[in-house]
Amino acid sequence: MNAAFRKPDPFPTPPRTEVPAPLLSVEGVTLQYRSGHALVTATHRIDFTAAKGERLVLLGPSGCGKSTLLKAVGGFLRPVEGRIQLDGREIVEPGPDRMMVFQEFDQLLPWKTVRQNILFPLRQARHGWSKADIDEKVRQIIGKVGLTKFAESYPHQLSGGMKQRVAIARAMAMEPAILLMDEPFASLDALTRRRMQDDLLQLWQDTRFTMLFVTHSIDEALLVGSRVIVLTPHPGRVRAVIETAAEALGGPGSPRFRAVHEEISGLLLTERFDQGGGI
Amino acid sequence: MSQANDISSIDDFAVVERPLSLPAQVWDKAVVRRAVILAGLALLWQGYAMVAGNPLMFPSFGETAQAFGEALLHGTLLNKAWTSVKVLLLGYGLGVLLAGLLAGLAASTRFGEDLLGTLTAMFNPLPAIALLPLALLWFGLGTPSLLFVLVHAVLWPLALNASAGFRGVGETLRMAGRNYGLKGWRYIGLILIPAAFPQILTGLKIGWAFAWRTLIAAELVFGVASGTGGLGWFIFENKNRLETANVFAGLGTVILIGLAVEGLLFRTLERHTVRKWGMQR
Repeated sequence: MNAAFRKPDPFPTPPRTEVPAPLLSVEGVTLQYRSGHALVTATHRIDFTAAKGERLVLLGPSGCGKSTLLKAVGGFLRPVEGRIQLDGREIVEPGPDRMMVFQEFDQLLPWKTVRQNILFPLRQARHGWSKADIDEKVRQIIGKVGLTKFAESYPHQLSGGMKQRVAIARAMAMEPAILLMDEPFASLDALTRRRMQDDLLQLWQDTRFTMLFVTHSIDEALLVGSRVIVLTPHPGRVRAVIETAAEALGGPGSPRFRAVHEEISGLLLTERFDQGGGI
Repeated sequence: MSQANDISSIDDFAVVERPLSLPAQVWDKAVVRRAVILAGLALLWQGYAMVAGNPLMFPSFGETAQAFGEALLHGTLLNKAWTSVKVLLLGYGLGVLLAGLLAGLAASTRFGEDLLGTLTAMFNPLPAIALLPLALLWFGLGTPSLLFVLVHAVLWPLALNASAGFRGVGETLRMAGRNYGLKGWRYIGLILIPAAFPQILTGLKIGWAFAWRTLIAAELVFGVASGTGGLGWFIFENKNRLETANVFAGLGTVILIGLAVEGLLFRTLERHTVRKWGMQR
């Protein structure tokens, strides 16, 4: 990632004086999946919580099980050990209260226009909203992500960045309890990625949604997150939890930002040396 | 730094865009080229028939066209064609329904997948028309026998294609669908079927082609049971009466209906679905 960032303030969350009941709680979660004839342990006894309105980032190299962990929160995978709770209820299956944004561009339904893609889950989820309400909501959210001109376009007519915008709009329109982002900007070019990160923060500024964001980029983690959970691989374990927004890092150019960046790099690298230098 | 070229003397090739000449434009249209080929074939046909001079064995293009017009306006051709199409639609519909059920089962359970795999492996290589004797034995002369072979003709290729299409639906799209809370038949109907539509459409086309050919062949063997008989029966009947021009007219009708469905119906369906969605070029 480049270093010429100009946006100074990654919107600090209000300081937490009393400890509120966590929205999401992950307790001692071990995840395993089958790969061919082998049983792979993706994460080992992971603990963390996310409060309402928090921008929590799961950061780690490939193989640390961060995506698998996100899928488990999404309900696509059951933990073999431990439990995941949202609002005090255990997560057992996928549901529209945990909308996911994936890295891949093919997450949109190709047979629906931008507007229909956002409308469809709203209709399916049956929130009890009226048709007029839904239509208005869709119109607004399309405007928010700057795609009004493309509302009637099909996904194959859009650029990669636009597709990710639609995916984010689709997820946000559902007003989920928590937004799950699986490296949503990883397939974009560097310039588009920077813009999308800023726009995401802007959206968060507007609505203060709760977000669980997976990335392998330290820069992205520091930019997007208010708290970063650093995971180490094989199997994934929590190495450190770093408050980023509350400390007011002061933007990517600042010494504080660079110091935290260094610190996280160090955490991830020493792990590698601990294990004998191999990856 | 800058250098200016003398562009005052523009020759013919320097013009950016120029319309093609009229003949070139006309020849550019596929319809025109096809029409020329058809006209050439008709001419060849007419010429050979006149040289052979044996209308009983090989009627000329003119005679066939006349017979076609007669049969269409005053004869039974339209009726017979409608009888065939009616039976076909019924059999096709049944086949599509069963294929949908089988493919849906295959998409949702591993047992269903094995079942479909085994059944298609067994029955797909078996030409539907080979089952006609058995059908006659079981259901007698009549529409049920025709339906039996038609369903067999449509079911396996369509189920095979649909199931392959379902399996080809990407993991991301599947997760997106389940993320909406869709399950069971709603998940299949709202996510899997549209996502696999290119393959399903291919299956529908293959099924149609099999069914149409099978039906005409079956009707050649029998077809009077329902009282009116179909196109195949029209051809068979006229051959017995040595009305060879009518036989040709009947064959022409088979071709025309086949073309209309394959060329118009499916082409239009394709344009309004998979092409519009960018899933197929």
